[in-house]
Amino acid sequence: MSLEQPERPGSDVVGVTEDGIDYDALEALLGEHVIGREAHLNAEAFVVRPDEVAAALGTLRDEAGFDHCSCVTAQEYEDRYESIYHLRKYDDPTQEVGVVVPTSKGEPVSQSGNEVYRTADWHEREAYDLVGIEYEDHPDMRRILLPETWQGHPLGMDYNAEKAQVVTLREHANPLEEDHRAGESSDTMFVNIGPHHPATHGVLHLKTTLDGEQVGDVDPDIGYLHRCEEQMCQQSTYRHQIMPYPDRWDYISAGILNEWAYARAAEDLAGLDVPEYAQVIRTMSAELCRIASHFLALGTFALDVYGDFTAIFMYSTRDREVVQNILEDLTGQRLMFNYLRLGGVAWDLPEPRQEFFEQIRDFLDELPGRLEEYHDMITSNEIFQMRCVNTGVLEPETAKSYGATGPVARGSGIDYDLRRDDPYGYYDQLDWDVITEDGCDNYSRVLVRMQEVEESAKIIDQCVTLLEQWPDDERTIQSNVPRTLKPEADSEIYRSVEAAKGELGIYMRADGTDTPARFKIRSPCFSNLQTLPEMSEGEYIPDLIASLGSLDIVLGEVDR
Amino acid sequence: MGGSAVVAQTTVDTLGELLGLGSLSAIEDFLLSFVVAAGIVVFILTLVAVSGIWGKRKITAAFTDRIAVNRIGPFGLLIIVADAVRLLSKELIVPEGVDRPAYDIGPFVMVASALLGFAVIPMGSGVQLADPEVGLVYVFAVASIASVGLVMAGYSSNNKYSFLGGLRAVAQNLAYEIPLVLTAASVVLFTGTLQMSGIVEAQATPLVEVGGLGINSWFAFVNPFAFLLFMAANLAEVGRNPFDIPEAPTEIVAGWQTEYSSVYFVLCYLSEFIHIFLGGAIITTLFLGGPASPIAGVSVIPGIGWFVIKMLAIYLFTQWMRSAIPRVRIDQLIEIGWKGMLVLSFANLVLTAVIVGLIA
Repeated sequence: MSLEQPERPGSDVVGVTEDGIDYDALEALLGEHVIGREAHLNAEAFVVRPDEVAAALGTLRDEAGFDHCSCVTAQEYEDRYESIYHLRKYDDPTQEVGVVVPTSKGEPVSQSGNEVYRTADWHEREAYDLVGIEYEDHPDMRRILLPETWQGHPLGMDYNAEKAQVVTLREHANPLEEDHRAGESSDTMFVNIGPHHPATHGVLHLKTTLDGEQVGDVDPDIGYLHRCEEQMCQQSTYRHQIMPYPDRWDYISAGILNEWAYARAAEDLAGLDVPEYAQVIRTMSAELCRIASHFLALGTFALDVYGDFTAIFMYSTRDREVVQNILEDLTGQRLMFNYLRLGGVAWDLPEPRQEFFEQIRDFLDELPGRLEEYHDMITSNEIFQMRCVNTGVLEPETAKSYGATGPVARGSGIDYDLRRDDPYGYYDQLDWDVITEDGCDNYSRVLVRMQEVEESAKIIDQCVTLLEQWPDDERTIQSNVPRTLKPEADSEIYRSVEAAKGELGIYMRADGTDTPARFKIRSPCFSNLQTLPEMSEGEYIPDLIASLGSLDIVLGEVDR
Repeated sequence: MGGSAVVAQTTVDTLGELLGLGSLSAIEDFLLSFVVAAGIVVFILTLVAVSGIWGKRKITAAFTDRIAVNRIGPFGLLIIVADAVRLLSKELIVPEGVDRPAYDIGPFVMVASALLGFAVIPMGSGVQLADPEVGLVYVFAVASIASVGLVMAGYSSNNKYSFLGGLRAVAQNLAYEIPLVLTAASVVLFTGTLQMSGIVEAQATPLVEVGGLGINSWFAFVNPFAFLLFMAANLAEVGRNPFDIPEAPTEIVAGWQTEYSSVYFVLCYLSEFIHIFLGGAIITTLFLGGPASPIAGVSVIPGIGWFVIKMLAIYLFTQWMRSAIPRVRIDQLIEIGWKGMLVLSFANLVLTAVIVGLIA
C-alpha cells in the first residue's frame, strides 16, 4: 500500500451498511461462486459449489472481513449432504453469514476450508467422523472423536446403531508401540501424555514428540469422553428433554451458562419471549457459574504450575464452595442445575428472599479480599511469573484463525465478548467491562480470568439490587410457552452465548416435529484446544502443561 | 577456632564403658557399632514415619485449610500403622522390560546413601556412631551416591517419564551439589576442621552475652548469607519445591519413581524423606549449632531433643515451600544453579576466606 492511500478502517470492507449486513453486496462480491441463497434465522447463507469452498471463504474473510469461522455444521438430508460454515466477525459478531456447501449423496466430497480458517481442520474432521462428508485438500482426514476402527458415521441417515462394532485383534493391537515416529535413527522421543496423566484435566491424549526436554510436535487426540450429546439432543423434545443435557457438556459448574446457550437458540428458533425478571435471574445465576468456573480454572492452573495439591488449589476450591452453596439454594443442585426453562427459569428465588440476597452479598463483600490473596499467592510470585510470562504465546492472528474465544482470545488482546457484542439476557443494561490483556501468554490468560471474576461480581451485585427492588406483582418467571414446541419446518438457527470458556454456540434445524432434525454444538474448548500445538511447539514440557492448563479445557465439552 | 582435633567420645565408646569392656577390641567395636547403627536407623525411620506419613499430612492440611487425618487413633496417629500395612501389602508390580537388577537395586542405593550419612552426625546427648576427621566430606560423598540410585531407577524402569525424571535428577544434583559443597567449605574456613564434632564445638562460644545468658555463635548468625545459600541449594538437593523437578507430578507423572509400586515405592518414598532429614541434619550441624540449645548456658531439654527440633524445623520449611511455591522449569533451574548459585557460593567462599584471614 502506497503512502498516498492511507488505510481507512472499515471503509474497504464489502457488505457493511449502517443497518448491518448487505447480503446483496456480499452476493455480488462472491459473484459466480454463489449458486443459491438460504435464509437462516440468524443470518443469510450462500450456497456454494463443493469445489469452490476455499475461494468463497477466502473472499469473505479477506474482502468482507469475516475473520471468525465460528462453527462448521455437517448434516445429511434425504437427497444430499450439507456443510455449513458459520462465519462472523471478531469486531462485531452480530454480523454473520453462512456458507452452505451441498454435496451429492453418492460422492460426499467437498473442498476443505482449512486453508482459510485453520479451525476448520478439526471441525471438518468431526463432520467426516460423525456425518461422513469427506473434505478434499484436508491435511489430516482422520476420525477425531470415534476410534479409528469405527464402522459407519453415526449421524448419517443409514447408520445402523444396532450393529455391533467389531474390532479385530489385529486392529486392537497397541498402535502406540513404536517409540520413534521418525525412525530408529531419530534423536527425538515420542511420549504419550495421557489419556491417564495428572495434568490432562480429564481424558485427553497428547501425542508428543520431544527433543530432549523440548516439545517438537504435539497432536491432541480427543474423543475419550464422547457421549453422543448431539444425537441425544436430536432424539429429545425441545420443551423439556434437551435442557438437562447442556449441564453435562462443560460440567465444571458452568451448567447455567450452557443451558442458556440452548435456551437462547431454542427461544429464537421458536419465537419465545422471556420475561425481564427471568432474564435478570438468568444473568445473575450465569455469572455465579462463571465465577465458580473461573475459580476452578485458576486452582487447576496453579496445580499445573505448582505441581502438587498446593494451598492455592484448596483456597480456590474453598471459595468456589460458597458459590456452589448459593447455586444449590437457587436451583436445588450443585452441579447439574437444570434450572433454565424455555421462556424463563424453573422457579423463583428461594424464600426468604432477603436471606438469599444477604448470602450473595456476603460472598461479594469477601471476594475482593480473596482475590487479593490470590494475587499475593499467584500472580505476584516471581517464580510464577518466570514460568508464565512469555510462555505459551498465542498471537492474536493465530488465535483468530483457530477460532479461539473466551478468556483465551481475550488474553491475546482480542476484544471479543458476546455478552457485550451480541447482547442477550440483561447484560446490555448493566455496567461492566470486557477484560483484555495484550500479553498473549499464559500469564495474561490467568489475569483475564481473575479480572473477569471481579466483573462478574459487579454484574451479580447489580442484579441483586434489581431483584431486591423488583415489584412483587411483576415477578413472572416464565412466559407462556406451548406444551409441545414444534418450530416451523426447515427453519435453521445458529446462536451462541458467552460461556465460561468462550463462545458456546448451538445450531438447530427444525423439521416440523417436536425434536430437532440436527442439533450441533459449537464447543469453545474444542476450538481453543486446537491452538495448543501453536502455543507449545518449541517450548519445554512444563510450558506445554502450563499452556494446556491456561486453556482451561473441559473434556466433557471438547468431546461432547 | 583452631585446628586442634576434638575427639569426642562416640556412642560406641560410651556403650563399651557401660558394659565394662574397657578398651574395645576390633570385634567388640564392630559388634557394638552394629548395635548403635541399628539404633540410629530405627530412630531415623521412626522420625520419618511420624513426620512423613502423619506430620506431612497435618502440615500440608494446615497450609491448605484442611483437617487431614483425624479418625484413626488419637489425632489420627494410627494412620502410620494403617499406611504402613496398606503400602506393604500392595502388589509389587514389576513392569515387563525393566532392566533388572538395576531396577531392584536403585531404591536400596538411595535409602542406603541417605542412612549412611547419619553415621557421622552428632545428634547430641552423646549419640554419634563415628566421628572421623573427614566427617563433612564423608556426608556429602555418601549423600551423592543417591544420584546413582536415581539414574538406575530412571533408566532401568523402561518408562519415558522415569527416564526424563532420572536425567532431570542428575542434571539438578550436578548443578546444586557444587554450590552446596562450596558453601559448606566456607563454614570449614571458620572451624578449621572437617570433623563434625569440631564444627559443633566451634559454634559453642557465645556471640553476644548479657548477664550469663548469650546467643551462641551459630554460623547461621555468623554467616547468614552462606546459610541462605545452603538452604536454597538444599531444597534442590532434596527435590522439594521450587525444585521438585525430578518428580514433577503433572509434568512427568512421578518422574523416576513412576514404575515403582509396593515395597519399592515405600523405599523411594522413604529415601526422599530420609534425604530431607539428612539435609536438615547437615544444616543443623553446620549452621544451627548441632544439638546445642539456642541460648548459651540454658539447656531445658537434652541435646538430642534440640537436634530433632531443629531437624523438624528444616523439614517444616521444605513442606512449607512445597505448599506455597511454584516449580521452576528445568532450564531455569539449571540457569539458577550454574549462573546464580555457583557464582554466589564462590563469592561467599572468597569473601569468607578474606574475612577469616583478617581476623585470624
